[in-house]
Amino acid sequence: MRLMKPTIKMSLSALAIVSALSLAGCATTSNSTVANVVETGSFSLPQYQTVSLSNGLKVNLMVQKEVPLITINAVVRAGAVNDTTSGLASMTAQGLMLGAAGQSKADIEQTLDFMGASLNTGADQEGSYIDASFMSKDLDKVLPIFSNILLSPDFDTAEFAKLQQREIVGLSQQKESPRAVIGRYFNKLVFGDHPYANPSSGNSESIAELSIEQLRAFHQGFYQPNNVAISVVGDFDPQQMQAKLEQALGQWQNTEVAVQADLAQALPVMGASRVLLVDKPDAIETTFVFGGMGISYDNPDYVGLTVVNTILGGRFTSWLNDELRVNAGLTYGARSGFVPFSKAGVFQISTFTKAETTKEAIDLALKTYARLWEKGIDQATLDSAKAYVKGQFPPKFETASQLAGLMSEMYLYGFNDDFINQFQAKVDGLTIAETQRLVKKYFPQQNLQYVLIGNAEKIADIAAQYGDVTKVDIKDSGFGQ
Amino acid sequence: MKRTLTALMLLAGVLGTSSADATTAKDIDSFTLDNGMEIMVLEDSSIPNANMYLFWKVGSRNEVPGITGISHFFEHMMFNGSKKFGPKMFDRTMEAAGGANNAYTTEDMTVYTDWFPANAIETMFDLEADRIANLDINSEMVESERGVVQSERTTGLENSNWRTIQEALKGVAFSAHPYSWSVIGYESDIAAWTLEDLQQYHKTYYAPNNAVVVIAGDVKLAEVKRLANKYFAPIPAQAPPKAVRTVEPLQQGERRVFVKKESVSTPNVMLAYHIPATSHADYYALDLLSSVLSQGNSSRFYQGLVDKQLATSADTYMPMSFDSNLFYILGVANTGVEASTLELALLEQINLIATQGVTAGELEKVKNIKLINFYRDMETINGKANTLGTYEMYFGSFEKLFDAPERYNTVTPEDIKRVAQTYLIRANRTVGVLAATEESDK
Repeated sequence: MRLMKPTIKMSLSALAIVSALSLAGCATTSNSTVANVVETGSFSLPQYQTVSLSNGLKVNLMVQKEVPLITINAVVRAGAVNDTTSGLASMTAQGLMLGAAGQSKADIEQTLDFMGASLNTGADQEGSYIDASFMSKDLDKVLPIFSNILLSPDFDTAEFAKLQQREIVGLSQQKESPRAVIGRYFNKLVFGDHPYANPSSGNSESIAELSIEQLRAFHQGFYQPNNVAISVVGDFDPQQMQAKLEQALGQWQNTEVAVQADLAQALPVMGASRVLLVDKPDAIETTFVFGGMGISYDNPDYVGLTVVNTILGGRFTSWLNDELRVNAGLTYGARSGFVPFSKAGVFQISTFTKAETTKEAIDLALKTYARLWEKGIDQATLDSAKAYVKGQFPPKFETASQLAGLMSEMYLYGFNDDFINQFQAKVDGLTIAETQRLVKKYFPQQNLQYVLIGNAEKIADIAAQYGDVTKVDIKDSGFGQ
Repeated sequence: MKRTLTALMLLAGVLGTSSADATTAKDIDSFTLDNGMEIMVLEDSSIPNANMYLFWKVGSRNEVPGITGISHFFEHMMFNGSKKFGPKMFDRTMEAAGGANNAYTTEDMTVYTDWFPANAIETMFDLEADRIANLDINSEMVESERGVVQSERTTGLENSNWRTIQEALKGVAFSAHPYSWSVIGYESDIAAWTLEDLQQYHKTYYAPNNAVVVIAGDVKLAEVKRLANKYFAPIPAQAPPKAVRTVEPLQQGERRVFVKKESVSTPNVMLAYHIPATSHADYYALDLLSSVLSQGNSSRFYQGLVDKQLATSADTYMPMSFDSNLFYILGVANTGVEASTLELALLEQINLIATQGVTAGELEKVKNIKLINFYRDMETINGKANTLGTYEMYFGSFEKLFDAPERYNTVTPEDIKRVAQTYLIRANRTVGVLAATEESDK
């Protein structure tokens, strides 16, 4: 393979991030300075309808008949930011699968597997998800299971104990791969005590503390019709589907108001450069990220920032990949990106290199990043990035699962069809002058935050050159101070 | 209207029913240029995009000691400049037209993938034709790309236990055949290959008669034909490469390998059994056996190991392959479980199938799983291009895709038991263990 895969694991894939990169228009008002618009074909969101069940539950229905499959998604407005004990939202979501309405975990899994169906649950920073994919002929068998695990999970004691144990050892196993965990260390370093620092996975100590009662309370508090959206995409008849959903979910009633924290409060300010050095004594390379605060989903400059980031570190010919990989041969891949949440976000540059070239790679990444301010973007590069972003957009929304995921994100982060339908026009409208404004306003330039995972004996002196160093062992519980 | 393959309907007809829109076999067109290059086209206007996949019949099986990893390295070099599009210009030209690309190398083949807005198709032909006909391999590019591939090798070993143990295990499981080394190659060979090695490789393998091209998406057959004739047809055919002659000798007893890695928190156990090439009639039964063992939480491995807290995961992997290859099993131990305990638990599940077989319901289940996975592959233009080309390469004809449903459907519980008894036996097995410390002799 020529390109590194994204190094940050994200629930519901990068869709959440891509989708956010579209909100509202960029501030550009004129196309007159745009030199060249590359025609990439017209793409709009397939038609769908939004209906309300008798209990007020909103349901999106989108028919797609290419293959005889259906995806049904439920998204709950509850995630790691709502954790009272770290990992609670994730364990609650996973706990849905431990048996429901009297049917055991093994029975449910056997029934779903027999149909070739899949039903997955999970949580990330701000959402919890149930995602079912199955053959359209099996709708009447899958829907009751979907409904039961959403509304009536049993949270079986014995199964919970096993899940808890598997999660604890799973956390240790994840730390065998720096790439799998570095994003959690970085979030913790940037957000500190703010809820956005919470790793949705929890940590080995917090998972051990969790009780079934906490899962039940979390489910009761957040899994309610007025805090959930359902999206159905695939090969079905909309009228029939609405009737079936009414039967399965229409009786579900709200019990209490879901209590949400104000995440716009107490956001941290980066006062100084800091380095979190994560010691992995047998590391053969150094994996690192640096950056700072990014932007939230509802930022009106998202589309423009997507294009600018594409130039810096979002594609193969990006400045970072070109310098670190193609010109210097220091790494297999280097990239950058904004990771948005609803009220804040991070920006980060990430790569890896052998221990001996750690300083060389960090310095080259910093120098390349500085080009944003020192040289700026030329017209040909901007035109190319605009074509690339537009041309690579439609395949992100091709499958039933991708489209259902998109509609879940629309609910969770409050954006609409314009995200797809206005995307190309917004990209086309971006000018050089506008990129300069975006660089100045949004890319963190001062007080950068660093996470380095590697052999501390070899790289501690290098780490100290970039800020105040905090050292932790990768095997320690959690993801930094 | 989106289009699907007749295979979907055949599968659905055999195993279920469907209301989805579908097309017929006629919608896949294939033609061969005078220089021997095969081209397949599938029109699909569901999104305004298209893909071009180029499958080359060259992989690590075509290597010899001293140049291991060169197929993969060559994959990288194919992006580094040719006559019309000089250094960096392949990627720059493609991205400026709205396209992206990647490539991958396996033991058997090297595959190049271009994903682009459909109206950029001529640019893709121009770019590909230039690097096939006129690649410029220069020493400066070789040196910086060497560093990239070294980093790719290192980061794979750093982040993937699978790669670490598999690399060691393959070296033991194969005594003669080139599947013995990993696709990325030995560290010393990466550091050593020469300009001449690379030039020779390009001349030998990158001839149009050694390739299969698949184009799927919002394109028209007539236009693809026109462009193929304009850009690909003038590239001359070459003498076919020499056949890989080595046949792996029959394994006569269990082999073992241990790899130490200090940061591994619980032992990983890999088992590998020699099995025939994908073109062999037993492929379908083995593939279903693989699913019975590891797919879903109702699988034998989940029920027998993960649910019982012996393992945190247990998977199988059976690559498609030109020559006889390996059926892999990887278990990751739960806390406090020794490698030897995990190994026995994995073997117990295999032996249960070899002695008692599988139930009819279990077999029906994995056939359903095959069907839905197939639909998922066929849901995108990317999946269609990759699947069509893969069938063409491993089964000799993309039309075999249409036989697959019937082949899977005729597999019986007795077939599953038979292939387990034939192939998943001790004398045919290699065991690899990856752990922080080796168990003592006691």
